[in-house]
Amino acid sequence: MRAWARELAIGARLARSGGRGSLTRVALTAVGVALGVALLLVAASVPRMIDGRDARDAARADAASKEARQRAGDRTLLVADANWEFRDRDLRGRLLRAEGAQAPIPPGLDRLPRPGELFVSPALATLLRSKEGALLRERLPHPIAGTIGDEGLAGPAELAFYLGSDALADAGARRIDRFGADVEPEGLDPVLQALAVVVLTALLVPVAVFIAAAVRFGGEARDRRLAALRLLGADMRMTRRIAAGEALVAALLGLLLGGLLFLLVRGLARDVTLWDLSVFPADVTPSVPLAAAVALGVPAAAVLVTLVALRGVTVEPLGLVRRAAPRRRRLWWRLALPAAGALLLLPLVGAGDAASGSGGEAQLAAGVVLVLVGIAALLPWLVEAVVRRLGGGGVAWQLATRRLQLDSGASARVVSGIAVAVAGAIALQTTFSGVEGDYVTGREASGDAVADVWLADDGGGRLGGGAERLAAALRESAGVRGALAVEQLEASHGTASEIVRVADCATLQAVVPVGRCADGDAFLLDGMTSLRPGARVRLGDAVAWTVPRDARVVDFPGTEPAQGAVRSIPDPVLATPGALAGVAVPPRTLLASVTLDETTPDAIEHVRNAVARLDPTADVFTMGDRSYRRQYATLRRALFAGAVAVLALIGASMLVGGLEQLRERRRPLAVLAAFGTPQSAIARSILWQTAIPVALGLALSVLAGAGLGAALLRMVGAPVSLDLGSIAGLTAAGAAVVLLVTAASLPALRRTMRPEGLRTE
Amino acid sequence: MSASEPLLAAQGLRKAFGQSTALDGASIAVAAGEVVAVMGPSGSGKSTLLHCLAGIVRPDEGRVSYRGRDLTACDDAALSALRRGEFGFVFQFGQLVPELSCVENVALPLRLDGASRRDAERRARTWLERLEVGELAAKTPGQISGGQGQRVAIARALATEPCVLFADEPTGALDSLNGEHVMRLLREAAHDSGAAVVLVTHEPRVAAWSDREVVVRDGRTRTTAPVAS
Ligand SMILES: Nc1ncnc2c1ncn2[C@@H]1O[C@H](COP(=O)(O)OP(=O)(O)OP(=O)(O)O)[C@@H](O)[C@H]1O
Ligand SMILES: [Mg+2]
Repeated sequence: MRAWARELAIGARLARSGGRGSLTRVALTAVGVALGVALLLVAASVPRMIDGRDARDAARADAASKEARQRAGDRTLLVADANWEFRDRDLRGRLLRAEGAQAPIPPGLDRLPRPGELFVSPALATLLRSKEGALLRERLPHPIAGTIGDEGLAGPAELAFYLGSDALADAGARRIDRFGADVEPEGLDPVLQALAVVVLTALLVPVAVFIAAAVRFGGEARDRRLAALRLLGADMRMTRRIAAGEALVAALLGLLLGGLLFLLVRGLARDVTLWDLSVFPADVTPSVPLAAAVALGVPAAAVLVTLVALRGVTVEPLGLVRRAAPRRRRLWWRLALPAAGALLLLPLVGAGDAASGSGGEAQLAAGVVLVLVGIAALLPWLVEAVVRRLGGGGVAWQLATRRLQLDSGASARVVSGIAVAVAGAIALQTTFSGVEGDYVTGREASGDAVADVWLADDGGGRLGGGAERLAAALRESAGVRGALAVEQLEASHGTASEIVRVADCATLQAVVPVGRCADGDAFLLDGMTSLRPGARVRLGDAVAWTVPRDARVVDFPGTEPAQGAVRSIPDPVLATPGALAGVAVPPRTLLASVTLDETTPDAIEHVRNAVARLDPTADVFTMGDRSYRRQYATLRRALFAGAVAVLALIGASMLVGGLEQLRERRRPLAVLAAFGTPQSAIARSILWQTAIPVALGLALSVLAGAGLGAALLRMVGAPVSLDLGSIAGLTAAGAAVVLLVTAASLPALRRTMRPEGLRTE
Repeated sequence: MSASEPLLAAQGLRKAFGQSTALDGASIAVAAGEVVAVMGPSGSGKSTLLHCLAGIVRPDEGRVSYRGRDLTACDDAALSALRRGEFGFVFQFGQLVPELSCVENVALPLRLDGASRRDAERRARTWLERLEVGELAAKTPGQISGGQGQRVAIARALATEPCVLFADEPTGALDSLNGEHVMRLLREAAHDSGAAVVLVTHEPRVAAWSDREVVVRDGRTRTTAPVAS
């Protein structure tokens, strides 16, 4: 034990005093480890980021209490939602009206807004001031009285506002006496949760691979130095521990640097918005057990990797370093991993729904992890097996293949990282696009964009007037081809209730061919209602109405999908305003469907503005379930960004490895230059040397990723189709990495091939 | 080219690296098929002279002509092509590409010159045999000795049948017995293929294998009488 410690210490000292070359290597390794550690720490902060967001979201919850309806009092507040969209972003808006002096104040505000006063989030304030936000400014023309503090926001980039209102009334609002909810916020959908496990694996395995590669940066030169130690009488075991000590120093340094880098990233968090996701720096805090795992795991892994790597190397006293008789990589255990993963996944494919059993998710996660890790294990074998059979070709090809044959391990290990990331990415992209496909079809069926508008009307005014006003406002809005608006009343009879649609004849006829129609007429859709002419019903809470005795039963020819709710969901009872003459006007809902001219920019924003002018709490929907789709889209983009980041990381380590190789071959390269070898030939050999393993890695990962994606799709019960776009995209990214790595090594190559390289060292 | 005109000639070469002057008016002439030894103490500018003659380094002043062509006026591509086609090189050590086998190393310049792989390797093998290292063809440089490596390097330099072979301390890393052997092989092989040799060395025993000696001192050349052999 004492000897151990001593030898580790010698290694540590060597790392410090080994001259400039040694310092460079330690620095390289430290920087590599630091990058990996910073990424790990960010990943370790994810739980806290989600928790912080959820906690703040719960603290500002303003759902009405479930108990008996509250009475207006000194401590009550009326709240109505004004959740809008602007371009592709969500706005969380609330209209507030205090009913007493003790009304609760939402988190992040120091007082309640007075009527007409606006409190906005900093991001919304910025947007409103900007040119881009001019259109939104029309929707929020109120004076800004203050900003919402961090504790009242989900994230720094959230667009949110509180608007004081004196028009808010009992009917269209919730009455609350406090903010905050005890209810558990609903987490990710279980299928999404399982997918998130895949995302994390796909991103973290490459980081681990990268750290392992970084620990071996400069390995050859270190071996040479170790040979010198052997000459001084160190035995094989001692040299190994000395090497481990050196790696430990670099890893600890990397840990430190990584921590600093993480703090730096954390400080920048406020300014970085990945699409709709943004986090407060304070939320980017790793959970203690995970941070401890990183702090202990990384140095331990560094030592372990060094020891394992040295197993295949014989360091001889005479400075000669020869690979111990190269052991063929064994196939069986490398195949066992993905095979076990496939075995775990297969039964789930039959099951149809992965989310059903609670054990199912764990099994899914384990299967996916095994398959992905299996790729990392399989790839070095594959590269070795393929490279051994490569021959022929030009000088550049020969140099590249020979170099790979001499030691394919280094590049294969690094490429394993790419392969895992790409396989995971393709699997998920395939799954996402398969699931997403369901939403998109409806929209594509009609060439036009359609939006539906819903707003509650408190019942004031004349029946039919609300729809007319709404339709007129919509038609005036820029980029609107047409708008149909109707009013809906709820009619109950006994325990059943049905919707009565009120609109003028022209509007009714545009939806259902009712034939001859005059004000005062009413119609019943055949087969869709149990009401008969002359039936007595209650409208709303109390108003009595008799279905006119001359109401005609008409056929509804069938729905045309994607034409908007007014057309596609016809209500079973249709009435012209005259048919309800003499009835006290009950509360009703206005429904309108708008056809947009998609060539007009921001047509939908103009519609939203027009609607918000009538009623800020109105809902405007475009086709498709956006919020659900967006969850997928966010994961998808996060994944693509992660995959690209991993590719860049792997590219960096390939570059470092390549540069080291160039340094090692300085003399032979300079001599080749003297012989008149064109630089382009050597450059091409570097290209091939990078491209061959990457191509193999991509091929393997496309296969595995597509298979995994297909299996995941089968589990969700969606039709299996390959997402060729993402396969092409990631393949292109892989090719770009190869080109970039080659291009980045060219300056070093040019330097190496100068005559100075001929001078003795 | 007239008989009197030398194959390779340099006049008044000057070359400085920053503060230190490597060549200070050196001149030399090499006739076809001739072996010229360039001698002198360490740091006197021998290697720099060789590099200038071979078009690897451009002199600050002076002129290098090969077959009447001014090398100092050629661009890099032309110089590379010239070196590929007409010159060969042997250095002190570490010049073989470690991942290629010996025969592939020797075949490399031939392939760069456009020969097919099979043809290049066949010719490479005969050169390895002439230098008595035919049995090493399939080994990599890491698996052979220093003297064997020098012989492979000479085979590689001569494989393209160059008109001039530049050798910078080719035996510098070998013991004297091995050095003698390598010099004999080099001399014979160069003679057989009619190549002129510019041989940089500071060892008289090595210089004894030359036809003529040129001494460099402080960047200036002094020619001595042909060696009687
Ligand atoms: N690339 C260079 N950069 C800086 N100085 C150089 C360079 N090449 C040569 N020199 C300098 O020029 C002088 C001559 O160097 P050169 O290598 O030609 O000597 P040499 O006679 O070959 O010596 P040796 O017998 O030790 O090989 C030396 O002082 C050397 O330091
Ligand atoms: Mg020299």
